[in-house]
Amino acid sequence: MRTSVIPFGPQHPVLPEPLQLKLTVEDEVITEAVPALGYVHRGLEALAQNRDFHQMVQVTERVCGICSVLHAICYCQGLEDIMGITVPPRARYLRVIWGELLRLHSHLLWMGLFADSFGFESLFMQLWKIRERVLDIQEATTGNRVISGTIRVGGVSRDMDARQVHWIADQLTWVAHQVRQIEPVLREDFTIRRRTEGKGVLTSAQARELGAVGPVLRASGIAQDIRQTGYAAYGELDFEPVTATAGDCHARCMVRLGEIDQSIDLIHQALDRLPGGDIRSEVRGRPQGETLMRVEQPRGEVVYYIRADGGKTLSRVRIRTPTFANIPVLVKLLPGIFLSDVPVVVLSIDPCVSCLER
Amino acid sequence: MNGNTTTVEVRNLLGEATRLKIDGYRLVTLSGVNTGPDQVEILYHFDKDLTLVHLRLAASREAPVPSISPIYPAAFLAENEIQDLFHIRFHGLVIDYQGTLFLPREMESTPFCRYDRSETPRPVSPDPQSAKSAGGA
Amino acid sequence: MNHALIILGIGLVAGPLLGGLAGGLDRIVTARLQARTGPPVWQPYYDVIKLMAKELVVVNGWQAFCVYSYLFASMLALILFVMQSDLLLILFTQALGAVFLAMGALASTSPYSQVGAHRELLQILTYEPLLFLVGVGIFLETGSFKISVVMQWKDPLILKLPLLFAALGYVMIIKLRKSPFDLAASHHAHQELVRGVFTDFSGPLLGMIEIGHWYDTVLILGICSLFWATGPVPMAALAAAAYATIILIDNAAARLNWRWMLGHVWAMGLALALVNLICRHQG
Repeated sequence: MRTSVIPFGPQHPVLPEPLQLKLTVEDEVITEAVPALGYVHRGLEALAQNRDFHQMVQVTERVCGICSVLHAICYCQGLEDIMGITVPPRARYLRVIWGELLRLHSHLLWMGLFADSFGFESLFMQLWKIRERVLDIQEATTGNRVISGTIRVGGVSRDMDARQVHWIADQLTWVAHQVRQIEPVLREDFTIRRRTEGKGVLTSAQARELGAVGPVLRASGIAQDIRQTGYAAYGELDFEPVTATAGDCHARCMVRLGEIDQSIDLIHQALDRLPGGDIRSEVRGRPQGETLMRVEQPRGEVVYYIRADGGKTLSRVRIRTPTFANIPVLVKLLPGIFLSDVPVVVLSIDPCVSCLER
Repeated sequence: MNGNTTTVEVRNLLGEATRLKIDGYRLVTLSGVNTGPDQVEILYHFDKDLTLVHLRLAASREAPVPSISPIYPAAFLAENEIQDLFHIRFHGLVIDYQGTLFLPREMESTPFCRYDRSETPRPVSPDPQSAKSAGGA
Repeated sequence: MNHALIILGIGLVAGPLLGGLAGGLDRIVTARLQARTGPPVWQPYYDVIKLMAKELVVVNGWQAFCVYSYLFASMLALILFVMQSDLLLILFTQALGAVFLAMGALASTSPYSQVGAHRELLQILTYEPLLFLVGVGIFLETGSFKISVVMQWKDPLILKLPLLFAALGYVMIIKLRKSPFDLAASHHAHQELVRGVFTDFSGPLLGMIEIGHWYDTVLILGICSLFWATGPVPMAALAAAAYATIILIDNAAARLNWRWMLGHVWAMGLALALVNLICRHQG
């Protein structure tokens, strides 16, 4: 028996983000994994104490580039809840559209990285090619590829016209077609199944106990999706949480694959039912009170605890990102697996370190 | 706040957490709020079938807070974070970073509170590094 | 004497020339399969020239010694091949080179190189028996281990030894470090071991390893081409077809782990090879 400690990160090509896992390895089997964080902690929660509550929208959107819009939506919903603002219906639908576009490109990005983690480079390239088209839609409708900057307290700052609505629907049909072509590879390919099935199995009891969120939770058979609470316009759209029962890495991939289809469907629904009218309500006064707001991000539920005491700045903004909730899962899953499966299992929770270290 | 809030104290915190666990609640997260020079309010958020329940604990920097991580393993990261950011000690943590989860070891203040070095509360478990620096100061 | 020197020269030049070219074509074809444009065909040479121009940093003397030995063994193996020498001698020379590379990685203390070298040795363990059986198969068919005899053989060996050729395919995938068996070191460093055995080599030493890999590539394609040794054109065509197939497999497969490789390649490869040999000599 040969015991060695392998530093997985903070600079590691599999995970291009500064997360370190100290892996104790005995003959290529992991016996212990301890995460070390804090390489890029930015103190954005503390920044809330000297930025006014409108400026904080900008800050929350920059917590993470890949979940940008949904951070801003969650924060704005929290403030709207405290201040009792009703968001116009058109703004609620636009939030759904941008939120789902974000989920779409985030899942495609993740799938590419996941393919790369088990050495399937051509799949990685193809998936990112599709993702580019989604980013084009984001750029055409918001002006930015990743960080849209269109969400405001009380609504949104940009509208889209009928021509754009048609164009988005066309583009999404292309995306759906491309994804459908790749789907059999992800679902059936022998080498992929060999690398992902039965790896990093999380039972539903463990998922509940370890506080797993998002696709990790749903892949273990628990149909919980925060979108079911019906925030924004989700209450008026038809969808069912995508679940799988195996709880392994392949199941997590399948859940995300299902959510890509679901997102495309939700955007089509939202585009069809897009109501007219204003896109932003007036915001008066200063917030006072506290709230806990949850939104479903690509990686799982994001939680904003906001407390305001009537001042221009907020007294506390606490951001619990999905990766933060899934790290205990990772600590539980890693011991006992082979070193060659570490990238697959680590990526299967979709770690986002910039979210993790606000 | 959306969801019921119960105020708990240090002595019945673990009991309440156990009761929620038996009822099938999932820990969402913990939030710390600075309420005074020596006071930190800790909120425990739980969820069951999309319904939220909160526990509100008024903690003091003087006395350590019992960790719920033996009951809810999910809590260990959030408790370590509060330990870092608010300079409060939890005892019984399953994985204790000793205040170095996000902060470097030589850090002398924490983001959400300003305190004097001399007022540094002694660590619960003997940590050679901080014990030495406290002795030196 | 003059004739021998010319052959020596051909052997020395063929490695970098054909190997580098094959590498460049591989990168372009792979890129096209991945919806990219890819680098120019000369990119492998640019890479090596750049590596050679860098400062020489070695972890310890053993590392440098092992790299020189690896390069020397790879060159020698190809020269022996071009001189149409004994197939067994060639196989053992190239195996020696491969072991030196793993030893070089073991000379440093980094866990990535250590685990990478461990996997490299397992890979050698996996493909060497198959490569040896290929040699035996050629011997049983032609009655000699001498490549000069094989070259004069009238019938294409592949018609008689198709399953053995398939077993050689496994060897080629492992030896050329392609998916699904790019375990010890993937072409780009996106795996859990960073670059596995190559992690601790840098600058000119890494350049030399790259050149050694070119020699290895040409040698293994050369052995592959022996299966249709009726003339230079069929030989080149067979090698090119095999290489193209391997690139295709590389782009259509994920990386597997060494446990699966050892079990599968031994079971399938040895079965293919033995069935072929038994059928030829019992029936």
